[in-house]
Amino acid sequence: MQKNKNQNTEEGFKQWFLKKWSTEPLFSTAIALAIMIILQTWSLGFDYDSFGSWFFTWTRNWVNILRNNSAVGLIALGMSFVIMSAGIDLSVGSTLVAVGAALMMLLDRGPNGILINLGIEGIPAILIAILVSLAFGYFLGNLNGILITRGGIPPFVVTLATMKLYRSVTQHFMQGYNPRVPMEFLPISNFEIGGYRIMPIFYWLLIAGGLYFVSKRTTFGRQIIAVGSNENSANLSGVNVKKVKRRVYAITGLLVAFAAIIQVSRIGSMDYANAGSGYEMEAIAAAVVGGTSMSGGRGTVIGTILGVLIIAVMNNLLNLLGVPPFLREAFKGLILLGAVLMQKNQKTA
Amino acid sequence: MKIEMKNIYKSFAAIEAVKDVSFSAEGGEVCALIGENGAGKSTLMNILGGVLSADRGEILVNGQEVNFYRPADSLSAGIAFIHQELNLINDLPIYENMFIGRELKKKGGILDLEKMLDKTQKVFDEMNIKLDPKTMVRELDTSYKQIVEISRAIMMDASVIIMDEPTTSLTNQEIKRVFEMMETLKKQNVGIVFISHKLNEVIEFCDRYSVLRNGELVAEGLVKDVDVDQLARAMVGHELRTNTLQRKNAQGKEVLRADNLSYNNDFKNISFSVHQGEILGVTGLLGDGRQELFQAIFGSGQIESGELYLNDQKVEIKNTTDALQKGIGYLPRNRKENGIIKDMNIFENASIVTWPIFDNWGVIDQEKQKQKFEEQVEKLRIKMGAKSDSINSLSGGNQQKIVLAKWLTANPDIFILDNPTQGVDVGSKEDIYDIILELAKEDIAVVILSSEAKEIIRICDRALVMYHGVIQGELDRDKMTEHEIMRLATGAGVNSVQEGT
Repeated sequence: MQKNKNQNTEEGFKQWFLKKWSTEPLFSTAIALAIMIILQTWSLGFDYDSFGSWFFTWTRNWVNILRNNSAVGLIALGMSFVIMSAGIDLSVGSTLVAVGAALMMLLDRGPNGILINLGIEGIPAILIAILVSLAFGYFLGNLNGILITRGGIPPFVVTLATMKLYRSVTQHFMQGYNPRVPMEFLPISNFEIGGYRIMPIFYWLLIAGGLYFVSKRTTFGRQIIAVGSNENSANLSGVNVKKVKRRVYAITGLLVAFAAIIQVSRIGSMDYANAGSGYEMEAIAAAVVGGTSMSGGRGTVIGTILGVLIIAVMNNLLNLLGVPPFLREAFKGLILLGAVLMQKNQKTA
Repeated sequence: MKIEMKNIYKSFAAIEAVKDVSFSAEGGEVCALIGENGAGKSTLMNILGGVLSADRGEILVNGQEVNFYRPADSLSAGIAFIHQELNLINDLPIYENMFIGRELKKKGGILDLEKMLDKTQKVFDEMNIKLDPKTMVRELDTSYKQIVEISRAIMMDASVIIMDEPTTSLTNQEIKRVFEMMETLKKQNVGIVFISHKLNEVIEFCDRYSVLRNGELVAEGLVKDVDVDQLARAMVGHELRTNTLQRKNAQGKEVLRADNLSYNNDFKNISFSVHQGEILGVTGLLGDGRQELFQAIFGSGQIESGELYLNDQKVEIKNTTDALQKGIGYLPRNRKENGIIKDMNIFENASIVTWPIFDNWGVIDQEKQKQKFEEQVEKLRIKMGAKSDSINSLSGGNQQKIVLAKWLTANPDIFILDNPTQGVDVGSKEDIYDIILELAKEDIAVVILSSEAKEIIRICDRALVMYHGVIQGELDRDKMTEHEIMRLATGAGVNSVQEGT
């Protein structure tokens, strides 16, 4: 009798699991992440006897993973909104350096610093610099949006062009110019809580929470899904399709500006040639692994966070396992293919 | 060459699309095949063109029985089918289009462009066509594209050409060009099957006619023996006006007035008005411009000239959001492409229109939406599972009711419904008629766009009949008959094909 009941619950669990697995993309993504975390925990040498030191290593490792990925994580959130609206934004990496450069020029303590020349210093200067760079990021994203909606140019082409444009112009103006960022700016990312520098993680999750609300509860958030799924229907339902699209790119620009602030305040400088390059692909990969459909209409904020984490934990795992560096990108590619194949099966199931 | 189709039957599932139809076409004559939408014209011709195969019946070419399994079979028997959607590649020049799939090649697989160019020029000379074969197809207007397709058929030695509503999307001048081409073909002893429902064109250019109705051949004969009225009557059958949904309702003040609206060739000099509590029908056949006109009024298309008044105030509708705010609702045709959003659930599909109306600082008012939704579900008798189920879980009729519901929650002053009963089962159809009558009772100005004359007669107080972007006539309730609507819709009011402007 007892045995029978056990079997029943076992059977029930199996059915429940298979149903969830085949119908809910978030569920399978979360399971994939959990498996990776178990592998990662194991490879960190979990041991009962030295639990204390293991736990310390484990926590430090996790704080590192999250902190190193919070900038890309923010960009991936914007990217997933763009992809949900059936668009794409290749210019995020270049927007990052453009905003970073603007931020550093504003904050520069040298003879060319913009704010210092206006007689603004200290905390007010930092606040102004932050606000101006956020506005600048919003502006650059908005520019993408305007070219796409008013100009009627495909998003891929527009953002490919601005990807070139933003970085090239930034590099030109910043050559031979090394702004010095005030020390007061650095705690924004480096402030320590309990010995851990977790501020970037905090910003990322806070903003993600806000965007979760936007995507689930606001008119704008739901209209993104409508526009991405069926632009015609959305338009004929009184949705201002152009406005929704423009704002999606503008918000991505804003999120990239947040990422730029985090990056600059982490190390106090920026490499204009290389910073942010490849971020567009990282962000797209994270969004797709997290269940965002490249043809629009499907995707979630939580999925994208899981997607960022899967790629991050995998990087970490490959590192811990000592996989040769050149091979690591291959694993990313495989994960991407695996995730998309799985989602495809779910659609037909 | 003579082609005969004898006692052809074809059904799809339980619907008999073609019942015991015989039809023939001969070289040197133009034979018109006419009938309403869904009468079976296309099915019959698809059988002749090898696209479909008949359930029963036989096809004879010059007295010999033949079987067409693929379009290629029918083509090699000398029958070319020119579909409504032209089959040309815009980014290739004319002469390459003439040889698509049968390119002439030199040794080593290199395209023999000179020879293709040469052959094309020869055909054009024979047909007296003044076109440079090197022109890119993209640069041609629709009539020339059609002429290129016809020439291609001629080059493949077609002796019978089936043309499926060739004049639908053409301007008058372009129509003239295509007819000149047809004249030339006739002289060269090519037979033409002309599928159309533009009766005055039939009268003017065709030699023989066959009329299909509900899949049956109801009339045939020589064109010189009939007039437009007789053909129109044959198309719709006896004068049907049973079961009109009678109602008496005092009309209120004018809600919408259009004054001389024009855009390109889509619609020209359109003036009309709609009143509170009135149901205005707008009808016509394919290519009449009614969809373009009302989408433009809804802010989804463009207006070149003319003025629009809402409640006696001149307005300009910038986009659909603007139209929504000004109290205009629009239920589009083709539910799948324009009505529903497949990635959203039932509840979201039903509330998308009112999100911006009932929101606080952009945050959707879930409670209010839920309440409105439940009201509509009850009122429209929508049969559904949970409101979070996928929209695809509903039947066509219930999906249509959801699309209706999303607009009804917005309380429009004027509600435009384009083919509201398209793809809807009979029961839901009656439900939708009831809802429309109910709306008019609530003093909403209703505009129904429909290609079904029966539908217009059943529920509308007044009807506008359009033809080629122009209002051909306005009919009051007591003047509405299928015959009269068909007469106006086929352009019979126009005496002959005139020069375009």
